[in-house]
Amino acid sequence: MTELILQSLYSGLLVGGAYALIALGLALVFGTMKIINLAHGELVLLAAYVAYTAESQFGLNPLASIPFALVIVCASAVLVYLLVSRIRVNRELNSLILTFGLGIILTNAVLIVWSANIRSTSSAWLQDAVVLGPLFSMRSEVVFFVLSLALAGGLWWWLSRSWYGRAVRAVSSNRDAAKLMGIDPVRTELVSFVVAGVLASVAGVAIYSSSVIQPALGHALTIKAFIITVLAGIGSMPGVLLGAVLLGVTESLTVTLASSALQELAGMVLFLLVLFVMPNGLFGGARRRG
Amino acid sequence: MHSTASHPRATRLRTLALAVALALGSFAAQAEEFVVGSQIPLTGSLARVGNGMLEGIKVAVEVFNARNTGNTIRLEVIDDESVPAKAVAAVEKLAADKVVALSGGYGSNLIGPASEAAEKAGLTYVTSGGVSDELTRRGLKHFFRINNNAGYAKAMAGLFEEMKLSSVAIVYSTKDATEGLAKAVAADLEAHGIKVTLHAFDPAITDFKPIINKVRLQDRAEGIAMVGYENDYVGILRAAKVLKPSSVKAVVGVWSLATAQMAQEFPELMPQVYGTAMLPFPVEFKSEAGRQFATAYERLYHKEPDYLGQFGYVQSMLLFEAIDRAAKNGTLAKGGLSEELRRTDAETIIGQVTFDANGDNPHFSHRMGQHQNGKVALVWPDAEATAPKQFPGVPW
Repeated sequence: MTELILQSLYSGLLVGGAYALIALGLALVFGTMKIINLAHGELVLLAAYVAYTAESQFGLNPLASIPFALVIVCASAVLVYLLVSRIRVNRELNSLILTFGLGIILTNAVLIVWSANIRSTSSAWLQDAVVLGPLFSMRSEVVFFVLSLALAGGLWWWLSRSWYGRAVRAVSSNRDAAKLMGIDPVRTELVSFVVAGVLASVAGVAIYSSSVIQPALGHALTIKAFIITVLAGIGSMPGVLLGAVLLGVTESLTVTLASSALQELAGMVLFLLVLFVMPNGLFGGARRRG
Repeated sequence: MHSTASHPRATRLRTLALAVALALGSFAAQAEEFVVGSQIPLTGSLARVGNGMLEGIKVAVEVFNARNTGNTIRLEVIDDESVPAKAVAAVEKLAADKVVALSGGYGSNLIGPASEAAEKAGLTYVTSGGVSDELTRRGLKHFFRINNNAGYAKAMAGLFEEMKLSSVAIVYSTKDATEGLAKAVAADLEAHGIKVTLHAFDPAITDFKPIINKVRLQDRAEGIAMVGYENDYVGILRAAKVLKPSSVKAVVGVWSLATAQMAQEFPELMPQVYGTAMLPFPVEFKSEAGRQFATAYERLYHKEPDYLGQFGYVQSMLLFEAIDRAAKNGTLAKGGLSEELRRTDAETIIGQVTFDANGDNPHFSHRMGQHQNGKVALVWPDAEATAPKQFPGVPW
């Protein structure tokens, strides 16, 4: 039983890393602009399909396809922002409808371009087993978990130490005051979307490398990312990482100790429980107190 | 001289052409075009299987119309987007457009409400996309299907029994059809003295390592039965390749697994894995009807036919033939199509098809295929086998 639980905790940790990668981009835009980008999952999916094309057509390792995914997904993220920025009235609500529609368009575009067949990497290197004593995983899971930690750390540094990161936080606190301080809010928000695009690119390649992709996946990814963002507390990057790992471990332990049929339910129970006890999310309370 | 001699021949040719034109004209005047509706998922989570079935339906239209029976079929297709409410709306729209019957539907959760809507409209509904037992327990008069859970369960259990395994772990999705099939296989195996452990999983899960670890450390099963869909198979097989459960001698799945697409897309995961299969890969038909289907399919789609196309073709051909018979004996306009379809007793490319009072095909029995060296060989039952099974054998 100990071996089962250890493996379960390890699997949950790695899955949590992947969840964090998906959620970080959504959390950034949500935290800084109060915009819930419902097309975020589709942007992640787009990156996954770019990795598929790079591997199947040009024989590139999915890791090597990240630069191509960055270009295409960041360009798409900019396009999404340009459309969102045209909303003049009730931006928070109207952007929901707009990005939901964009998500549908992207899903169908993916379906037309890449067909409905399921896809995943054929890289033996990424699929090889990594064995650490009684713990087993695929190499891709370890690689992207490390990448996820690095990106979360990098994002935290960028938001707290860099000029643009501070500008993003200033715009999110008070758009007009930030403007008076000489910050261009449009450019700052655009940068947020581009950074979210970078995160979505890596997340998409991670999913393609360790799981299976299909055109209908984007919506489920958005929901998962949204749950983690709310669980974490709006705008909290460490919270996203912790919330994602907590969700991954809860789901994994549910499979081992109860039934895998209850996995999704367990995730939702955790979500409701955290919100019941800490209505501002795991890290939202501390922010409010600060 | 030459010119005068050509005149009578030209006249004869013109007369012959006129006669042919008149004959064709009179034939065309008698021929009637019937519109058949197809509510089918072309987008959403079931897009791949829906598109696969539609290919078969379109081949059936092509083949039937080329037969010159005096009646022709035109297809009207509506994408239900893999959403039950849209499946109902699609059927209602097709009924409003006065289609004579429906061929299509995929997923028991979509077919259920869609076929109820068809029943209310008095439209015959024929499918191969829903195998849940519930579908034929409703007592609908106009619902028909050519395959069912029992046929899949019989094939899976038959293969396991032939292997003489002592224990099997069944890993199954909690969807209606897969849960029903898993339980039917479990009951069959237990009746033959095989120890069974069941592991249900939510369709949303992607990491199967915790489940396979239970199979490895707790169950120590000799066989793994996977009852799910393509993405589940890939997840389960990847987890098994990482954990390498040493007790396992065979991995057996169900639909969408022993296919050319899986052999080509996931060559590292498929070796020696079993799945239900009507066709070997490369495709090989022994019957004339099968070759006719394969030729038409390859002409339309420039690829080898798969089981989805095959099922879509059979259900549609049976429906079109029943429409033709009902039109000729004058019962079509009086709502006699379902009765005509119920009289079907045909040897098809998926075996014999008849329909019982609930619209189910009691003769349906699947075959089992195995991925062998990048190909799919039929290995069960013996009568249909194209190669002996490679046993014991697992992909890791």
